[in-house]
Amino acid sequence: MNLLEVRNLNTSFHIGVGTVQAVRNISFHVKQGESVGIVGESGSGKSVTMLSVMGLLPEYADIAADSILFDGREMTKLSKKALRAMHGSEIGMIFQDPMTSLNPLFNVESQLTEPLRIHRHMDKHHARQRALELLRQVEIPNPEARLKQYPHELSGGLRQRVMIATAIACGPKMVIADEPTTALDVTIQAQILDLLQNLKKETQTSIIMITHDLGVIASMCSRILVMYGGTICEQGDAREIFYDPKHPYTWGLLNSIPKVQSRPGEKLIPIKGTPPDMLKPPEGCPFSPRCRCCMPVCRMYMPPTVALSDTHSVACHLMHPNAPKITREG
Amino acid sequence: MLKYIIKRLLAGVLTMVVLITVAFFMMHAMPGGPFSPSEEKNVPVEVLERIAASYGLDQPVWKQYLNYWNNLLHGDLGVSYKTVGTVNEKITGHFPYSAKVGGLAVLFSLLIGIPLGLIAALYRGKAADLTTLALATIGISVPVFVLSLLLSYLFSSKLNWLPTYGLDTWACYVLPVVCLSFNPIAYIARQTRSSMLEALEQDYVRTARAKGVSELMVVAKHALKNALTPVITYLGPLVAGLLTGSFVVESRFAIPGLGYYFVRSISDRDYTMIMGIVIFFGFFVVICNLVSDILLAIVDPRVKLAND
Amino acid sequence: MSIRIPDPDTYASLPQEMFVIGTDDSLAEEIARPSTTYWHDVWQRFRKDKLAVIGLVVIAIMTILCIVMPMVSPYTYDGADYLNMNAGPSWAHPCGTDQMGRDQFIRIMYGARISLTIGFVAAAINFAIGVIYGGLAGYLGGRVDMVLMRIVDILSSLPSLLYIVLIMLIFGSNMGSVILALCFTSWIGTARVVRSEVMHLKHSEYVLAGRLAGATTWHLLVHHLVPNAMGPIIVSTAFLIPGAIFSEAFLSFLGIGIQAPQASWGSLANAAIPVMQMYPHLMLFPVIAICITMFSFNFIGDGLRDALDPRLKK
Repeated sequence: MNLLEVRNLNTSFHIGVGTVQAVRNISFHVKQGESVGIVGESGSGKSVTMLSVMGLLPEYADIAADSILFDGREMTKLSKKALRAMHGSEIGMIFQDPMTSLNPLFNVESQLTEPLRIHRHMDKHHARQRALELLRQVEIPNPEARLKQYPHELSGGLRQRVMIATAIACGPKMVIADEPTTALDVTIQAQILDLLQNLKKETQTSIIMITHDLGVIASMCSRILVMYGGTICEQGDAREIFYDPKHPYTWGLLNSIPKVQSRPGEKLIPIKGTPPDMLKPPEGCPFSPRCRCCMPVCRMYMPPTVALSDTHSVACHLMHPNAPKITREG
Repeated sequence: MLKYIIKRLLAGVLTMVVLITVAFFMMHAMPGGPFSPSEEKNVPVEVLERIAASYGLDQPVWKQYLNYWNNLLHGDLGVSYKTVGTVNEKITGHFPYSAKVGGLAVLFSLLIGIPLGLIAALYRGKAADLTTLALATIGISVPVFVLSLLLSYLFSSKLNWLPTYGLDTWACYVLPVVCLSFNPIAYIARQTRSSMLEALEQDYVRTARAKGVSELMVVAKHALKNALTPVITYLGPLVAGLLTGSFVVESRFAIPGLGYYFVRSISDRDYTMIMGIVIFFGFFVVICNLVSDILLAIVDPRVKLAND
Repeated sequence: MSIRIPDPDTYASLPQEMFVIGTDDSLAEEIARPSTTYWHDVWQRFRKDKLAVIGLVVIAIMTILCIVMPMVSPYTYDGADYLNMNAGPSWAHPCGTDQMGRDQFIRIMYGARISLTIGFVAAAINFAIGVIYGGLAGYLGGRVDMVLMRIVDILSSLPSLLYIVLIMLIFGSNMGSVILALCFTSWIGTARVVRSEVMHLKHSEYVLAGRLAGATTWHLLVHHLVPNAMGPIIVSTAFLIPGAIFSEAFLSFLGIGIQAPQASWGSLANAAIPVMQMYPHLMLFPVIAICITMFSFNFIGDGLRDALDPRLKK
């Protein structure tokens, strides 16, 4: 059963010089207990997509969608109050930088118990007991002492564990993790990923993992969405994306990550150029200016999404019967 | 926390020592002492010398300096040279007037300035915001003496609504308090607005929303507490400045406060009075800064760390 | 511009030549936005701020007027005319005359000379002291920095008016001592800004890169630190000017600034108080002059701040 189903989401920002079309016409779904990775470069619209779904974007953002179904409810039709009741209770969020995402002026207890007191109406004592439980669950040693500490007194890894504890405090059905490891040291990154992995197993929560790091995705996610220029260019399960990618952008992403079995002297292949200016996105395929397989049609039309299997779909003109048969290697 | 308070306290003591020393020697560097022949032309020189000696002014400067400290540590600021009575009496007699008007002005500034800045930030770019910004610009650009002149001309001379003299009725307080709080209101509103806007864009505000915190609590709890820290920093100098009495406003509205007497003792060249008031001001400023530092450390636990 | 999605039939029948892979790499660069220099950007942004431009024009006009008018006017600032005392505004005397029949307009122009001179000179001196003091503290760091900043802390923890009044008492009431008094503590803000900018830049990667490339300290300071720290320094200096003008007017208003027969806006306003009821114009014109000037400089300062640091304004 689909826990989250998004159809034709469009998000744009009206700023002084024009309209930034951050997310364009995307559709996807997340199943119960599934972990989905959204991967793409900075500015590809992956964070905006999830913030749109949550309804957490600032007022100058314009969000339009045919439907956003969460757990059978149409989120586009919910009142602000009803949405707020879902935030933090049914959907938890973890953000990139735990230093700035925690309020510097409130201690751990206050921030961790906040969702419990709002959504579960716990009194101070019960909220505190639950907070201790949560801190133990995210493997923070000496939780009693931590409750009284302020964010600046904790290390980056501990802060992110507190963020995770806050996100899962009310036992959400879905957790959205927005680049949860990017701001952390590599060794801590592995610990945090392990922790998320374990929590998922224990609680059967769906996880949406937003990242630009395919390595993170590989270790966590069963299904992957690849985003570029505010559109989904390819999606499929992990095996399909890693072993049978169809979109030139996915090829580029895979070629640009180092592999353990690389031969000495083997070079990583960067994707040339810069991401598109979303104030004036290309009329056709957003990746066409940087694509090594760019064809005249790519500049004219947005490629339609073609389903290759139940799970695998790709939006690329190379799928057209008239297009040359190109593979990742050649 | 205790370590932090002690540190700030020591800094305050050091400030006072420097201030007293500098002020003392500046007073003595002044051309023409209080009883020099050039000042008092009608009095015979011998008489002047005798008066000077009776105040200990014939002793070497370093000895006078030590004497001054000795008296000061006993809480004695000396005797006024030009008026009857001790400096202590003058200060305790006039300070309450300044404190009353100043205290009201502090209250007024905070009660109007903070909400004004808050509303401006929440309705950014709307009419309320633009009005606040315009008011703030006026408040910062119009000097207090200009404002006191204009207001007293308009409301007293022309309309005859409000008195400009003394502190006998509540109506007497209106103009001085408005004049005193005009500039602080502008400053506080501007500061609150910009720090509130900054706070609302922070990641932790987004986190609070993602937790399902109501919009009211997002603003009133998470953002406001952060936005008010600069205002707390400003509070120390503000309270000190307003409570010790404004030279201009007290002279203009004939309030018998400390500021008024400070100006008078300057034109009288009443050196012990000037010294005494300077030291009292300094002391008051140091105390107020200390209190606002402690307040800030309570609100923002990071402050203690930055100061270590 | 929106995305173009082909309808399925058209798409299916697209000809073969639409599907030929081109090989031009240059296309990747085509989407970069045109780049402009920093100062060009700053000027563009400043120009769009109407109030700031008006402020600049007003100050320019006032500067020219206060230089030229006293040269061409038939009146002088101390020329008394006892037949024409306390006259209201007229063609001969656009701002009226004072208690001694002196032309108020010319006296305000002389006041403008004093105010603007004090404003600019005090700002320039404070700028110099602030940059050197803050630069030294920030660049040398360590113990020197600690001592220098402690001194600044002590100086700034007391209201500057106390120092100013004391200095005025020692050195007498004239323009020189007003400037001296204003320079006593006003540089502290600039020094703090410069220090933190220098500290920040000292640890930045591009200065480190310059050092690795063998650049001398002097070269680094002049070519990297100063231009990069310029924005906040200019803003803090811009706000020093109205501050200095305000302090002068204030001192003169209290009677310990510029002395008669010289005219300053503050002393003109002060002199008008006893006759405020009868001759309000004597108070009104100097007050208007002060307000216009303060507004103009504050507008310029705000405009500069927004132009130099666009993050603060969106």
